[in-house]
Amino acid sequence: MPINRRKFIQDTGAAVLASALIPLHSEGAAEPVQKLTILHTNDVHSRLEPFPMDGSRNQGLGGVAARAALIAKIRQEEEQVLVLDAGDIFQGTPYFNIYKGEPEIKAMSAMGYDAATMGNHDFDLGMENFATQLKHASFPILISNYDFSGTELEGKTKPWQIFKKGNLQIGVFGVGIELQGLVAENLYGKTVYRDPIQTANATASMLHKKGCDLVICLSHLGDRYQENKVSDEILAKESYDIDLIIGGHTHRFFEEPRKYTNKKGGVVAVNQVGFGGIQLGRLEYEFSRAKKKNLANAHTVVIGKKTSE
Amino acid sequence: MYRRNSIFLGLFIALSSCSTFYQPTSLQHTQYKIDASIRSDSSVVGMLQPYATNINTTMNKVIGASADTYINKRPESEIGNFLADCYKEMGEKKFARKIDAAFMNAGGIRSYLSKGNITVGKIFEIMPFDNILILQELKGSVLQQYLDVMAADGGWPVSKGVTLQIKNKKAVNILIHGKPLDPNAVYTVVHSDYVANGGSDCSMLKPIPQINLGYLMRDAIVEYIDSQTKAGKTIQPVIENRVTNAD
Repeated sequence: MPINRRKFIQDTGAAVLASALIPLHSEGAAEPVQKLTILHTNDVHSRLEPFPMDGSRNQGLGGVAARAALIAKIRQEEEQVLVLDAGDIFQGTPYFNIYKGEPEIKAMSAMGYDAATMGNHDFDLGMENFATQLKHASFPILISNYDFSGTELEGKTKPWQIFKKGNLQIGVFGVGIELQGLVAENLYGKTVYRDPIQTANATASMLHKKGCDLVICLSHLGDRYQENKVSDEILAKESYDIDLIIGGHTHRFFEEPRKYTNKKGGVVAVNQVGFGGIQLGRLEYEFSRAKKKNLANAHTVVIGKKTSE
Repeated sequence: MYRRNSIFLGLFIALSSCSTFYQPTSLQHTQYKIDASIRSDSSVVGMLQPYATNINTTMNKVIGASADTYINKRPESEIGNFLADCYKEMGEKKFARKIDAAFMNAGGIRSYLSKGNITVGKIFEIMPFDNILILQELKGSVLQQYLDVMAADGGWPVSKGVTLQIKNKKAVNILIHGKPLDPNAVYTVVHSDYVANGGSDCSMLKPIPQINLGYLMRDAIVEYIDSQTKAGKTIQPVIENRVTNAD
């Protein structure tokens, strides 16, 4: 039954109608707990096959065939799943040198990724190439602080998207790292980099006001730096309406999500799962029904390790 | 007509203030290690197959041997010394002139050399970028700024004959072939187009003219290992205190 309903929503494209009407019908009745399972990767760097069996620490780890099977299994077990990536899809194995990103994007589409943001290495063969490879994508590239007007990527990415997951509305947007000094100028061309904190706050606030129950930022800023450079940590502390930052760039394996307090006194979680598709992160939110719209006040979220399985 | 109305009703409810019904209360986390215990998804394997067959034929070719496993480290690493020396030697051949030093950004070493056979694929992993070896003539004062960037970043690979110490994120006690760095002298260096174009905070290099022969740095590595193998040598770089921390 749950799978059928999900299938109905996907197949008919009537997600708006379905998700809006279900709460009306269940008014007053005891409602099952709303749950959302988020699966995420970052900095996969063209690692389509597992790391080679050469005696190194990561030998045999990663690979899209195993990741695809795991994602498919979780989709069978859970009703509401979002699969997200925080950028640097490209660069790092000969697949990229020879095929320029085509199998990477095709594999992500086959795995049913819902969205990804852009990392600095996704510019490595130029914006025209990225645009070409996006023809193989069944998911959007979300990036809110790169203005691609007048470039080959104009109109090819979106700043944000709202995903209807059962009764829930999930807002997802992306922020990218400063390109100047990191990416060769001829590769990013006329792309305008906008302040990620300002842009993220404006986008998150808009998504929150649109009624999103959870706002997720896909970030390629990096988790934190010794020097005073904008990072997920700084963004989390300076934010108002972001619930979760799925990070990348710094290739950090988090033992657990980091927890920060935002400007409203609410909880922001930040997570990152290394690189190369060695790990798949899983974050499972439970939601309670709010009596009324709760735009102004902060809410707390209890973060713990998943015990089952 | 009725159907259309109900769609409008649905839209109205979804977009109006009633739509915030839920707030997150708990977050449980776990990470899965992607390993051989997970069976492969056969449709994805099939999708990848044609790409993989072609890649593996090209990449599995053995070009040499490494005496040990060499991992990228700062301020100095064996693999970094190997690469910098390779760029200097191959640069001298390609540009047909004496080169004072070769450099590379430590972040540009994307993998490690592992003990045993070295394949073409391994070199693609170490140097995945299609960067080009560039020759530039740098005034000593500019070279000092460039070396300061390397020091601030924890130390980058430098070729044999260059030594420096890192103190308070600056490069000090710099010797180029035994002589202290002269701010007014001109030094011939080779490095990637990425840094020569100002990447990795090397904006001081950007205004300086470049000689570009379109020589891929990866080709330089493959040709260098080829020549070592033909001479009966394995790759065996050592740490020789080219770059050290003063404090």
